[in-house]
Amino acid sequence: MLLQSCGMVLAIEAVNLVKEFGSFRAVDGVNLKVEEGVIFGLLGPNGAGKSTTIRMILGLLKPTSGYVKVFGIDVEKNRRGVLSITGYMPQHFSLYEDLTVEENMRLYASLFGLKGKAAEERIRELMDEFVLWEFRSRLAGKLSGGMKQRLALAVALLHRPKLLVVDEPTAGVDPPLRRYFWEKFRELKCRGVTILVTTHYMDEAENCDRIALMSRGRVAAEGTPLEIKRLAFGGDLVELVVEGDPRPVLDGYGARLVEFEGDGSYSRIRLLVPDASEALVPLTRMLEQRGVKVVRAYPLPVGLEDAFIRLTTGR
Amino acid sequence: MGPLIALVAKDVKQLLRDPRSLTMVLLMPLAVMAMFVAGYGEERSEVPIVVVNLDRGSISWQLIESLRSSGAFKIVAYAATMEEGTELVRKGVAYAAIVISEGFSDSILSGQSTRIVTVLDAAYATVSELVWQSAVIATQMFMKKASELYGTFYIDVERQTVYGPKVSSVDSFTSTIMGVLLHLVPMSLIAVSISRERERKTFEQLIMAPVSSWHIVFGKFIAYALVTVADMIVTMAFAVYALGVQVRGPLPALLAVSLLMLLCSLSIGLLISAASRNQLQAYQAAIFVFIPSMLFSGFFMPVELLSPTARLVGRVLPLYYFLKAFRNIQLRGWTLADVSQECAALALETAIFLAAAVRVLRLKVE
Repeated sequence: MLLQSCGMVLAIEAVNLVKEFGSFRAVDGVNLKVEEGVIFGLLGPNGAGKSTTIRMILGLLKPTSGYVKVFGIDVEKNRRGVLSITGYMPQHFSLYEDLTVEENMRLYASLFGLKGKAAEERIRELMDEFVLWEFRSRLAGKLSGGMKQRLALAVALLHRPKLLVVDEPTAGVDPPLRRYFWEKFRELKCRGVTILVTTHYMDEAENCDRIALMSRGRVAAEGTPLEIKRLAFGGDLVELVVEGDPRPVLDGYGARLVEFEGDGSYSRIRLLVPDASEALVPLTRMLEQRGVKVVRAYPLPVGLEDAFIRLTTGR
Repeated sequence: MGPLIALVAKDVKQLLRDPRSLTMVLLMPLAVMAMFVAGYGEERSEVPIVVVNLDRGSISWQLIESLRSSGAFKIVAYAATMEEGTELVRKGVAYAAIVISEGFSDSILSGQSTRIVTVLDAAYATVSELVWQSAVIATQMFMKKASELYGTFYIDVERQTVYGPKVSSVDSFTSTIMGVLLHLVPMSLIAVSISRERERKTFEQLIMAPVSSWHIVFGKFIAYALVTVADMIVTMAFAVYALGVQVRGPLPALLAVSLLMLLCSLSIGLLISAASRNQLQAYQAAIFVFIPSMLFSGFFMPVELLSPTARLVGRVLPLYYFLKAFRNIQLRGWTLADVSQECAALALETAIFLAAAVRVLRLKVE
């Protein structure tokens, strides 16, 4: 709301998106707002409706109801306008396996209206960037999985899109390449590209600026990874190792005790606080003041996976 | 046995789970039989003929009546001279002219032998044979009846041909074979082209580029035309130069007609492709289109000799126009101008099918 009042255009605005396949509701009222210049992650298990949602965003599927705007352009009304500023890397390799790397790139350069020297230069540039030059005359079908992915990303970027939509780029990809991809995404972000990425790897989603958790066709939660975790647990977790039993001292203090483990002389406690970075110092000071010696105090990293399970199942 | 049963069960299930293809599989035999009955079921197939009566007596009219009541002929014209009758056959108005010679009645009354001449269109070998046999039978029937009244006499049935004397079976089948090749091969080839892109997911990437269905349809149309036209020329050259197939009309005209048929087949295939969800459906649909073409375009029998329904169906089929034009050029020696109507029909159908394909093709994934 604030953004719109400032006159800034959202990269993606999806409103009440619904997609039904027969009697099955794959997407059930999804609302998304993606600001320009962020990496936005669409998370959720397989079958949560992520791919269907992005296909509607790209105009590959017609929504049963609701609408999508990309940089203010209505996707169903002016799909061409959207395509010229959007790059898409589908989940499955979708280039022509019976064409070479170079032929695929040339084809798509032409389709996107790149001509002559400009096309030549852009293709060379991307081939260098994605280490495809030495494989340029190889048939795309003969490439390894990783090379196929690099080619697909290069093709998606040919026309310098403002928005890059990537569906499960890291599914079945080895860890070095996964890291490579995320580095690339951050690099693209620095160049001002907005990225919408779906994944079911929760650990990867920490790389996103904002994420939306999808479950059974709905957005279960949305925010920064930190916000999501706080939402799931009701705050941040901090762990302290102290001498003695600090429980009587903690009564009445604004922190909830989640876990306690003590052997009489030392205790390990986990506390839920609204913000770990702000709470840790006052908490330690308070305990010391009341005569509890703090051995160690640190914020406890929580995975998004835990947060996700908590948010979708309530456990 | 276990694995076999499991595999059978799997395949049966898979077949049952593609309702569109299944419908086509189940519908096909029924539809084909229904079409066959509708087109060929009626007993009477009357061949249009011209009668030239040079006799001044009245007995010749009894023979004409006998020809008419045989049920084999439909007299579409009477001509005054043999030349005029022959010309009507040459122009394709009738498949044969039956000429009753001068002094026919007198000869019969005086117990002499006389003759009738059948001028057959050799370009249509099957019909010529039919006409010939029916004419002989009708004449024999007439002789049997008339001899009771006028005493013994004899009628000799003579055989003449236009575009003959005899068209070899290689020559007469060339049009059919070219028809099959030009219809089925390009159509089924292009029919799977878009559904293959859908199945291989390349369609999903393709429609993320700013292309319209117009681009996709015409891109495929032109590409497949370029490749298959080479095939067509090679086939034709093989027929003419290696097999020695006779071409009476201009060869370029024959090529032009074949090219039009090729383009029309491609456009039908594209429409199928745009409407199908997968390759199996597309392939089935191509076969489904081909069967009525085979029945109602004059493969076996000129469409004019079939039922009115069949004639109507034939008018819609591109193969009907192709066979007509091709035969007329190849066997009758007509020129492109003589078959301009057929060419126009083929071009029009091509345009309609292409426009339909552009309209039907959805730039969406399912």
